[in-house]
Amino acid sequence: MTFILESGYAFWNPLIWIIVFLVVMIVVYFFRRRGQKKYKKDTDQAQIFLCGEEVPEAGERHIRVGNIYWGFFETLKEYYNQILRPHTGIVNDYVLWFVAATAVSAIILLIAGLAK
Amino acid sequence: MATLITHSPILIIAIPLVTAFLTPLIGMANRKVRDALVIVSLAFVVVLVFALARDVVINGIRVYTLGATSPDLTIPTGFMVPVRIILEVDGMSIFMGIIWSIVSLAAAIFSLSHIASETGQNRFYTLLLLMVAGGFGMMFTGDLFNLFVFLEIASISGAALIAFRIKFADTQEGGFKYIVISAIASLMVLFAIGLLYAQYNLLNIGAIAQVIQYTTLDKIALALLLIAFTMKAGMVPLHLWFPDAYSVAPASITGMLVITSHACMYAAFRVCFTLYGSMLDAPVAGWILIVFGLLSMFIGVTMAVFQKDVMRFMSYHAISQLGYMWVGVGVGLAVLGNAEFIAAYGRDAMSGGIFHILNHAMYKPLLFFTGGALFHCTGTRDLTKMGGLAHKMKWTTILYIIGTLSISGIPPLNGFSSKILIYESVYQFHPILTITGIITSILTLASFTKAFHSAFMGAELPEYKEVKEVPRSMVIAMVILAAGIVFITLFPSLVVDWTIHPAADALIDQEAYITAVMGAIP
Repeated sequence: MTFILESGYAFWNPLIWIIVFLVVMIVVYFFRRRGQKKYKKDTDQAQIFLCGEEVPEAGERHIRVGNIYWGFFETLKEYYNQILRPHTGIVNDYVLWFVAATAVSAIILLIAGLAK
Repeated sequence: MATLITHSPILIIAIPLVTAFLTPLIGMANRKVRDALVIVSLAFVVVLVFALARDVVINGIRVYTLGATSPDLTIPTGFMVPVRIILEVDGMSIFMGIIWSIVSLAAAIFSLSHIASETGQNRFYTLLLLMVAGGFGMMFTGDLFNLFVFLEIASISGAALIAFRIKFADTQEGGFKYIVISAIASLMVLFAIGLLYAQYNLLNIGAIAQVIQYTTLDKIALALLLIAFTMKAGMVPLHLWFPDAYSVAPASITGMLVITSHACMYAAFRVCFTLYGSMLDAPVAGWILIVFGLLSMFIGVTMAVFQKDVMRFMSYHAISQLGYMWVGVGVGLAVLGNAEFIAAYGRDAMSGGIFHILNHAMYKPLLFFTGGALFHCTGTRDLTKMGGLAHKMKWTTILYIIGTLSISGIPPLNGFSSKILIYESVYQFHPILTITGIITSILTLASFTKAFHSAFMGAELPEYKEVKEVPRSMVIAMVILAAGIVFITLFPSLVVDWTIHPAADALIDQEAYITAVMGAIP
């Protein structure tokens, strides 16, 4: 059966997920169909309600990328300070990393070879 | 047809190479004919690659000796070793070839509209086709020196394509960084080849593999080859140039550059498994790959969450995803000498890593193309300036969602199939590998959700009132890759049985690779 992927420990069948997904879609569509149909389009009935306050313009109410996950970045501020340090944008630094990685790898391979 | 298949290994490299030099001549006369020539030649290459793949699956490893009376005459009469240029196509090479042919064709179709307003298009297509030829050469060659030559062809054309849009200052910087890094990596590869040639007087991979002693010089050559290809692939901490270069290239080229990273990864795997193979200190080399993989997975994704430039964001995700492949194949390498562990989980881990190469080759260029589509329509890569674009770019939005779900490993999409293979198998080696993989996957979904909200969600912004969906050729290119995702999603077992397992077995079975070249010795 080509749909079933044996992972060696379990199996994976995408068809089951697709069928479940389709069933969920049908249920969602069923509830949507039961929604209110008698509202008047292009009137205040279809406008956003913000506790009676004036709704800002589209550009002002869109949450921009810089404001998303603020707490995540604040918590990991120290990690990001450290991780951003090597990202200097200078090619010389990039080459230095290459030299260091080559030297470390060569030493590891040589020492492991001696120990063998 | 039989003759065509016989000569297909060289034709797959030669057709884009010849077309590259025809393109500017034809382009001077008629632009539409030039575009048609590029697409038709790459489509023909796709057909040849699939024909060759079928042949490899049925008949085993294919060797092609250039200049010999018969393509399979690898060792000339009177010689003990191969002296001619030999192409050697096994399960792993043809697997890479399939990926490269599909993505190249999609990228060329995407370019038709994406670079339509740029000057110097004749040169663009020449460079694109040269990069295609270089990539196929790297994947099919059975000779170390030719590996270096094809690496150079792909790198130089790649650098020129990154810097192609000269009206943007950052493209020149990106192109410069790419060529410096590529030149250093290529020189180290050449130096390592020199060390091997000085000892064994050979350049053919199979021939060296048969006699290699794993001397001190061999270990130094291994470190040089491994780290040079690691840097060219863009693994942490040698990734620093990657987002600087990949984010500024035209999106179609960025999609192709991702596959050149895969080609460098393939070269590293070929060196470890085939060139050194049984002589290698496999656990040490395997752990080196695994450490690079783990660092890339975690640091790549945490850097991606932080980005505000859509193409840099996707570049860091590419680095992160490359980590999965290194971890999967690294685990296979670490247990290479132990038949019991290879059978228990090593082969599955390698299959997962290799399967992830295929999946990544479908969704990552697709995501880069959607990033290019956003840039094409809005004129900016800055996510802080975007919003509400789903109202105007429905195709791009749907295709972005497909790519996002796939890269995040959300069932039932193809990214999940390869990730579950990796998770379950590498857990047997060390649980921390699976834990890091799952955390990376969660962060991947979180960051793509953030980018999705920033670019596509929200009310229609006044500055993008005039924006329209991207031209048809760009949509077609994205749909080709999305179709690949859907196919792999529906038939994971078919794909694994016909392409992934043969590729993993080709890496594990060093003897078969050597015999294909050296078997003719009397």
